[in-house]
Amino acid sequence: MRLTRRDRLVLFAPLVVLLTGWLVLPAVLGLSATFTTYAPFGVAIRLSGLQNYAAVLRDGEFFAAVRNIAIFTIVAVPLELTIGFTLAYVLRRPIGRRWLWRVLLLVPWLVSPVANGVMWRFLFGSATGLIDFGLGWLGRPDIASPISDVRLALPTTIAVEVWRIAPFVAFLVLPGLSSIPTERWEDATLSGAPWTRQVLDVALPSLRPLLLALTMLLIGLALGTFDGVLILTGGGPGTSTVTPALYSYKQAFEVNDWPTGAASAWLIAAGVLGAGLVYLLLARKRQSA
Amino acid sequence: MSGLRAQRRRDGVTRAVVLTAALAVFMLPLAWTALAAIGLRANNNTRPPSWVGSPTLDHFRDVGIAEPAFWQEIATSTASAACAAALTVAASLLAAYGLARSRFRGNRLLTQAFLVLASLPAMAYVIPLSDLMRRSQLVDTFAGLVLTEAAVTAPLAIYVLHGALSQLSSEWEEAAWLDGAGLFRVIGQIVVPLAAPAIAATTIIVFVLDWNLLLVPLVMTAGQIKTVPLAMIDFFTFERELEWPTAAAALIISLVPVVVLVTVFHRVLDRFALNVPGFD
Repeated sequence: MRLTRRDRLVLFAPLVVLLTGWLVLPAVLGLSATFTTYAPFGVAIRLSGLQNYAAVLRDGEFFAAVRNIAIFTIVAVPLELTIGFTLAYVLRRPIGRRWLWRVLLLVPWLVSPVANGVMWRFLFGSATGLIDFGLGWLGRPDIASPISDVRLALPTTIAVEVWRIAPFVAFLVLPGLSSIPTERWEDATLSGAPWTRQVLDVALPSLRPLLLALTMLLIGLALGTFDGVLILTGGGPGTSTVTPALYSYKQAFEVNDWPTGAASAWLIAAGVLGAGLVYLLLARKRQSA
Repeated sequence: MSGLRAQRRRDGVTRAVVLTAALAVFMLPLAWTALAAIGLRANNNTRPPSWVGSPTLDHFRDVGIAEPAFWQEIATSTASAACAAALTVAASLLAAYGLARSRFRGNRLLTQAFLVLASLPAMAYVIPLSDLMRRSQLVDTFAGLVLTEAAVTAPLAIYVLHGALSQLSSEWEEAAWLDGAGLFRVIGQIVVPLAAPAIAATTIIVFVLDWNLLLVPLVMTAGQIKTVPLAMIDFFTFERELEWPTAAAALIISLVPVVVLVTVFHRVLDRFALNVPGFD
């Protein structure tokens, strides 16, 4: 390896400056500020220990947000992985116009979460919506928009997010699946193994690292859900779809309760970093095996 | 071999069924939106539901009336996403090369840590960041927006580029080093050309991520600089709710640039892969 110390300095400097200045430093300063009464336009700053966190944890709305995001993550991530994997699995063999399929898989992800919220709000709306159009053809009466129903709002929000992300998962899994040599599939078929064994014995072992990395990214994406619900439901009805990110944003920028907003945002970071720790351990275990 | 052939046929049927269903589920909502944008709407009040309206481009014009600065916002979005993607990929490429060609303790752990950082939601740090940016007078400036967006996507870019660069053979680089080439010559004339497809693919994906960001522009701007997702949330405030065809037209306009981008560069996007380091 010929890189000198000076070379490395030159190579890493731009990224270190960018990440330190605009990510790490604000995160660390923000964390230390959560143990004080700091607010941007506040006058006196004093240490407050864990008071901000206590205030967040006592807030019923934050509790609802944690419950919602736990359900959201536990349901959405496996669904995105399963649907994405299934789509990639059926596209793994050569197919006409494969490039077109890959582009189509990307398209729902190209719709921004905000635009997606706008779109589904109207699709669920009864006058011109897709859902009631379908029901009408089946001779069924219109239904109220599921996003305004306390029980249906969260499942609907999850479905809308899965719609956007699952094809993108397929897009990312497809190269890995099609790089598995055809003989290995055929060996499995000839030995009479059902398709479930093909998936378990041929596909999953070689895709394990990729699926693990994808799961990490999807968990982070789910735990940070913000713009996906902002327009679609705005957190409602009631607190049925409020998420921790939405809660933090409202506290810091709308209610102007900066310390609560910053502290609750750090609890999201703690959740993702906890998942990250598990990820690093799983990645290491595999490496030494 | 007949077992194999029968299996193939069954696979073919399953594939057709799954792909048709997927096409319907994932494309119908967008087709519905596109139809509304050109003036064709469903009327669910009749039985059976019917279609109303005739094809027109008026709704695209209405977007400019409802949001006079919409075209300006498209330009701002394009410019900021392009600058941020270029900055992200440039900084990440250098660092990814440094990581891929160095052997030190914790090298793989560091690379994996970038994936964890890439998973960290921006919400975790934008609240203090917005305060820092206000204090350094970068709020509501183009530079401030670009730098923040660049930092958000950099961890993912370095992770992906590291995967691509570690798969390159270092033979040619070694030869260039022996010839006395400097660091930037090696990178510019050997590494970049060899990794060009992966670099281009990463740039496109990062561009799309930047184009669709909401939270970062939301807290880093105060009205002067406005991107398309910000305009979209404005459609639903001030006690107004936009007509569906106009919203649909705005949605289609915001989607077209990125769809064109991925269609034109589809060949390059075949090279976008998460090559996970440290496993093999």
